[in-house]
Amino acid sequence: MKKNIFILAVAAALLATGCSQKEPEVDMTQQNGANAAAGSANGAASSVDGGLDTIQGSVESSNLTSEEAKMAKIHEIEATAKKIYFDFDKYNIRPDQQANVDEDAELFMSPEAKDLTVKIEGNCDEWGTDEYNYALGLKRAKTVRDALALKGIPESRMVMVSYGESNPVCTEHTQECWAKNRRVEFKLLP
Amino acid sequence: MKRFFVMLFAALSLMASDATLEIVKSADNRPHIAVEDSSIFGNETTRIKLFKLLIGDLKVTAHFKVDDTRRFAGYNTLVDPMLKSNDYVLRYRFKEADRQQLYMDVKLFKMPSSRPVYERSYKVANRARYPFLIHQAVIDLNDFLGMPSVAWMRRYVVFSEYVAPRRADILIADYTLTYRKRLVSGGLNIFPKWADGAQKGIYYTRLGNRPVLYYYNIYTGKRRRVLSSDGMLVCSDVSRDGSRLLLTMAPGGQPDIYEYNLRTGVKQRVTFYGGIDVSAQYLENERQIVFVSDRLGFPNIFSGTIGRRGVRQLVFHGRNNNACSAHGHYVVYSSRETDNAFGRNTFNLYLISTRSDYIRRLTASGVNQFPKFSRDGETVMYLKHFAGESALGIIRLDYNEGYLFPLKGKRIQSIDW
Repeated sequence: MKKNIFILAVAAALLATGCSQKEPEVDMTQQNGANAAAGSANGAASSVDGGLDTIQGSVESSNLTSEEAKMAKIHEIEATAKKIYFDFDKYNIRPDQQANVDEDAELFMSPEAKDLTVKIEGNCDEWGTDEYNYALGLKRAKTVRDALALKGIPESRMVMVSYGESNPVCTEHTQECWAKNRRVEFKLLP
Repeated sequence: MKRFFVMLFAALSLMASDATLEIVKSADNRPHIAVEDSSIFGNETTRIKLFKLLIGDLKVTAHFKVDDTRRFAGYNTLVDPMLKSNDYVLRYRFKEADRQQLYMDVKLFKMPSSRPVYERSYKVANRARYPFLIHQAVIDLNDFLGMPSVAWMRRYVVFSEYVAPRRADILIADYTLTYRKRLVSGGLNIFPKWADGAQKGIYYTRLGNRPVLYYYNIYTGKRRRVLSSDGMLVCSDVSRDGSRLLLTMAPGGQPDIYEYNLRTGVKQRVTFYGGIDVSAQYLENERQIVFVSDRLGFPNIFSGTIGRRGVRQLVFHGRNNNACSAHGHYVVYSSRETDNAFGRNTFNLYLISTRSDYIRRLTASGVNQFPKFSRDGETVMYLKHFAGESALGIIRLDYNEGYLFPLKGKRIQSIDW
């Protein structure tokens, strides 16, 4: 018993002296990471999982629910999908956009996306007014739907909506901006 | 010879009643009116706003030659003798009361005798509603002087305004869009349309994953679902008795025009074209319609008959005629004059009749869009963008007069009067 008390006392003394005299160790990598994270609020986001990419392994998991994980995957696929751009007042697919349609068809038929519903959203620039612009957006969505159907995606998997001029990605009054707004983009629904 | 004069008289009568014919010269014998401000409400900025709206209303009647010099006088003092060259002097006074109430007193002097011939008082419970004080005062003054009614000034305008990407609210306003009251918000609420002549309710589309058409009672705030359709669903026009709707629907993503009978619940497809057919409006007997279609490769104005397949092209100029409004046999439409896909374009308004080949240009410059007839068909409202400024335009067709009210606020999606 006495021996035990003695060992504990020595350990406590060592601990106390260690805390008071030793310089605190600073993990420079972590501090840099914290600074970067704080800085990211004002600038581009910093990657914090670079190391994980280089570690060999298979399925990753955490305490995110399967629903959250599924939505994260859906957003990832949506981000990969290519937007289809249109000419002023037109709803036919331009030759330079055909490759994007082909890539999108391939993406939506991939094993990760094949069970999802594809929502095709048609959009217009600010030049049109009233009903015609919403109809134009819808025709753009329909042209893309028909093109995707030709590539093998069942029509029953696709829904269309037009947002007319209500959903601009660019709000400046320039030709580059208007061209960016004349587009079809995709959302995936579980 | 006698027959010749009869025919000449008949031809002149016909021309006189055709609004597409522009009056280029007329003897102006309208009464001259000057205005005196006796207000004891608000600061100078506020009083200028009130004055400008009153002057605007008087000018919009097109029944007066309005002297827009701002003059001041005590409400119960004698009229300045310098104003004797006018036919009338209108003196007004705004004064406030408890709980946000605002009063407007008006007094009309007949000149040159300076005799007061007319006096009225009006009030509103909330000072934000001041435009209605002014509109009513002008409507009554106009009636008192035996001029053709301008009661349309009292009607509400309903419109949808973008508040954020994919978000639009529905508001009502006075005809100058100065007073506004938000009715529907949250989500994308678009294409409001008056449901009845008495302006008790509106139809509008709420666009979620699928568009739904609602009826909304503006007095109870209650809404009910009317219909839903794939892709697109818009109420473009309502029959005079309120029993039938002209809709743009897009089952399968194909926008076409349908007529929906609210009493029987029967939907009838009216157009059968593989491109775009939208914006249908009833014409004359409500068996004919006018609509916008891209049958020629660009949006243009056509007419058709409900129950028949054929259509008729109504407009033969312009590169993009994508909006129209109809009243009786008249159609007003917006036409893009220039073909510049990337630069500044001019959109002008034109008036045509389905009974003649005349075309009357109503605007001369800028981007003029969203034309809407008043309920009596005598006035056209539109939105104008010119040199970075926006305005609400009013055109008095019978008088060849126009007036612009400066417009501030967010982008308007659709408007109905």
